[in-house]
Amino acid sequence: MNPLRLVTLILLAVVVQVTVFADLRIAGVAPELLVLFAVMFGYWYGPRRGPTTAFLVGLVWDVYLPTPLGLSAIVFAMVAFAVAASGAELFRDSRLQLAAIAGVGTIAAVAGYALLGEVMGQRGLVDLEMLRVALIAGLINAAAAPLTRPLIAWTVGPQPGFGGVGRRSMTSSG
Amino acid sequence: MAPAQRTGRVRHRLILLTLIAITLLTVDLRGLEPAQGAQGLVRDLLHPLNSLATTIISPVGDVWNSLFSYDDLEAENAALRQQIDSMTGATIQAEADSSAYVQLLDSLNLPYAGDVEIVTARVERGPVGNFASDVVTINRGQRHGLAEGMAVVTGAGLVGRVERVDGVTSTVQLLSDPDLLVGVRLVSTNDVGIGHAVPGEGGLFIVNQGPNWPKITDTTLLPEIGSAVVTDADSRYTADVPVGRVTEVRPAADELALEVLVELSNDVEDLAFVSVLLSEQSEEPPLVEVVPSTSVPLDLDPGLLDPLRSPSTAEGR
Repeated sequence: MNPLRLVTLILLAVVVQVTVFADLRIAGVAPELLVLFAVMFGYWYGPRRGPTTAFLVGLVWDVYLPTPLGLSAIVFAMVAFAVAASGAELFRDSRLQLAAIAGVGTIAAVAGYALLGEVMGQRGLVDLEMLRVALIAGLINAAAAPLTRPLIAWTVGPQPGFGGVGRRSMTSSG
Repeated sequence: MAPAQRTGRVRHRLILLTLIAITLLTVDLRGLEPAQGAQGLVRDLLHPLNSLATTIISPVGDVWNSLFSYDDLEAENAALRQQIDSMTGATIQAEADSSAYVQLLDSLNLPYAGDVEIVTARVERGPVGNFASDVVTINRGQRHGLAEGMAVVTGAGLVGRVERVDGVTSTVQLLSDPDLLVGVRLVSTNDVGIGHAVPGEGGLFIVNQGPNWPKITDTTLLPEIGSAVVTDADSRYTADVPVGRVTEVRPAADELALEVLVELSNDVEDLAFVSVLLSEQSEEPPLVEVVPSTSVPLDLDPGLLDPLRSPSTAEGR
């Protein structure tokens, strides 16, 4: 893994999330690009590095959110760990599989963020609107998941056969 | 490395991340200065990148919104045309009113809001993410004299308050946020109350409590429909900033208190420029009337509970 490339990717993703997706919304829902990267880091980096990287993504995102610092970070780390752990025994990496994991991971992260936020005293996060947001964001991320693969491969650098999770690898999947 | 050992390390790492997150949450919720400062620093460092990206993406965003919000734009256009028609007639009346108002101010020698220094800011972006719909980011911050709690206005009236200040940007909590309480004065009756936005009802504000807040039975104290509502002098904002106009007066759920519905004078959904009033603001929300406890102290004289033997009547006997 190339730390400089990883930091660059995370910062660019944050800038895009904060600026581009503040305006470009689909059915009123902003695409959750950072959640997508957190899920994909869990998927590609595996349980050792995935949650830590997802935690960093969440931490930078927390800086811009009105919710307390650390809320997104812990949710992203947990979701990345769940994705990494549940995906450890997967043999084939089809695009459909990738999309399903991105979609379900996103729904879990959005719902988890809202639930934990309510527990931490934030008001109005859990309602029917939250379910709508989670579903639409999940669909968007499911569609966009394959596009993140080359970007994550770029952060890994020229290491053939890298695959943090069991038998997966960036070079053989797709 | 053995699988069991590897699993153990992963668990340890996850526990460590959880502990770090709990520490950060605690530090942030307690509002410790270093944590706030560090977050502000990150936002300031990324500001040039964000600003550049906003400039580049702005035309794309406009095209996107025109494509996917065409119906909304059409409806908005129709509403604006109707508004212009009605304003043509109202302008003459407004001029007369304005002249009378200036004369009144002169005669009363009241300090006018013109004394308050203002900073004009551009709205850089709307809410980020999907769970903070009632905030905007403006391109003025600590370096321009802004501080938390300052009132944010446009020509039409109050927009919100400065919620978070960084070096060069600030976050504004909009009046459409139901959690933002504002101390207001009903101009027609001079009653002072506390109001907030009605959840899910864009542009509607409700005033339903306050010191000496009238009961619905006090028909003489009902505010006139269409009368103005402004910020109160005792609220945490500059006095007499327009908030909106009364649209409905109704009984509250308990059928006793009064509820005043106000149509906000500002459309906080579509802001491009705002002004920040650089006046000292109280960080505390407006005081709510203290309701005395209904429990009776053990050492209280039972005679005091008898209304017929209140001190005034007892003296009379």
